[in-house]
Amino acid sequence: MNASRPIQISYDGLARVDGSARFSFGDTVALASVSGPIEVRLAAELPSQATFDVSVRPLNNVPSTESKSQAATIRSAIAPSLILNKNPRTLIQLVIQTLSPTSTPRWTDGLLAAMINSSTLALLNAGSVPMRGVVCAIAIGKTRDGELLVDPEEARVAELIQGGCFAFMVADGAGLESNSTTVWTNWRALERTFDEMGLMSAREAAKDAIKGVYASMKSSIMPERIGHGDDDKMEI
Amino acid sequence: MRPPSPSIPEKEFLNSALKQNLRIDGRAPLDMRTPVFIFGPELGWVDCSLGKTRVIAYVDAKMVKPTPERPFEGMITIHSELSPMASSEYETGRPSEEEVTITRMLDKIIKRSDALDKESLCILAGQRVWHIRLSLHFLADAGNMVDCACLAGIVALRHFRRPEVEVIGDDEVIVHSPLERAPMPLAIHHSPFCFTFAFFADPETPPILDPTQLEQRLSAGLMSIALNAQKEICVLQKLGGVPQDTEEVLRLVKVAVAQAKELSNTVDAKLTADWETRKVEVR
Repeated sequence: MNASRPIQISYDGLARVDGSARFSFGDTVALASVSGPIEVRLAAELPSQATFDVSVRPLNNVPSTESKSQAATIRSAIAPSLILNKNPRTLIQLVIQTLSPTSTPRWTDGLLAAMINSSTLALLNAGSVPMRGVVCAIAIGKTRDGELLVDPEEARVAELIQGGCFAFMVADGAGLESNSTTVWTNWRALERTFDEMGLMSAREAAKDAIKGVYASMKSSIMPERIGHGDDDKMEI
Repeated sequence: MRPPSPSIPEKEFLNSALKQNLRIDGRAPLDMRTPVFIFGPELGWVDCSLGKTRVIAYVDAKMVKPTPERPFEGMITIHSELSPMASSEYETGRPSEEEVTITRMLDKIIKRSDALDKESLCILAGQRVWHIRLSLHFLADAGNMVDCACLAGIVALRHFRRPEVEVIGDDEVIVHSPLERAPMPLAIHHSPFCFTFAFFADPETPPILDPTQLEQRLSAGLMSIALNAQKEICVLQKLGGVPQDTEEVLRLVKVAVAQAKELSNTVDAKLTADWETRKVEVR
């Protein structure tokens, strides 16, 4: 199975928000910013938990229906990892900006995975919202010949018959049946019919690939410590 | 949600410092922050920052049918919506006063001053023209987003290259991919730059150029001058605020003229340097 496109993570340090992070799979780049817990409009206030508001902004043009749909999916992927009842009557505002143009309207899953990953990193960068785990996402595609591609690049998108994005919440701790639980997927057949076994094998492939994403995220937050060896590395 | 007003110590400190011609970030009153440009892998993508204020501009082009009133001209649209990423005081969908000011200034500076030649965007009269779309995304509001946005917009338009088009006979149009034929730059008549000055209520405080967020919030009036390096003024906008006498306004115009020349040279140098890294030799 192939490796994903090269991952690049950077923290922009945007001036007026609490946390911001940029994540890219190769040329597909997304920038996320988080502000919170901050004051919330009376209409959006919830009495026992924080309001989690997500908005997505595409690179070209103003936000459209697709952006609203992407914002809703990202919200449902990230929400399981946030402990929202610690800050009732406040707002956690997540804004995601795509920084690369969408050239293939048929396959936006690579971008979706980058957006989910950048959101998680922005939340970690802000450090102000309690979290249960770290949500990592990756896109998987299956070609006509049955080959599973991790994070397929644009040149190979035409060969895919099934594909989707998988998001896992990675955490170490009691209460999780394994180290990573699937929180969201949009696996679908792009041509012909849907195949359940395909979904299962893709999920296994994604679980394996997510280790690479998680490792990049971790090393971007914790710099390399010189001379301390491997004694405190966590195993996934 | 609107953030609370600056605290009294901040207000007093800023006002007393400005009276002594000192700015909090160490600049002289008429010093602008140095603009930093990062060009993206695509042509027409530029990240412009003035200190901590950051704006990303992206230009793309598509072929459309022209409006029946103007069959020989292409079209340019500018999208500049403020998002909560710039600051949590801005909400999507509800234009704040700042957003309206920015949109109107961009419209006047880039569209109405004819910076971009629309007739050169025509492919087939009455049937196909280029529609150039400039999208501006505000990443951080650390004061003076108008100047940053105009700068980013103009630099992105100059950086962008549209695909070359060949017209055969009366109705056949071939669009060449960038790999076949080198893409063409847009025809830009002039490059206007915007400079914003902030005034304060105390008559002894001098006007300052390129205010930061705190200076903008505590100012008692703003004046924006948009001009190009050829000393031609596109826009001079002063929406209310502390009255200024004409000599003061003319003095600031002279300051803006000097800044425009300098900025124009910087922009030219940066664009040339970036273009050098993109040159591909075909053997």
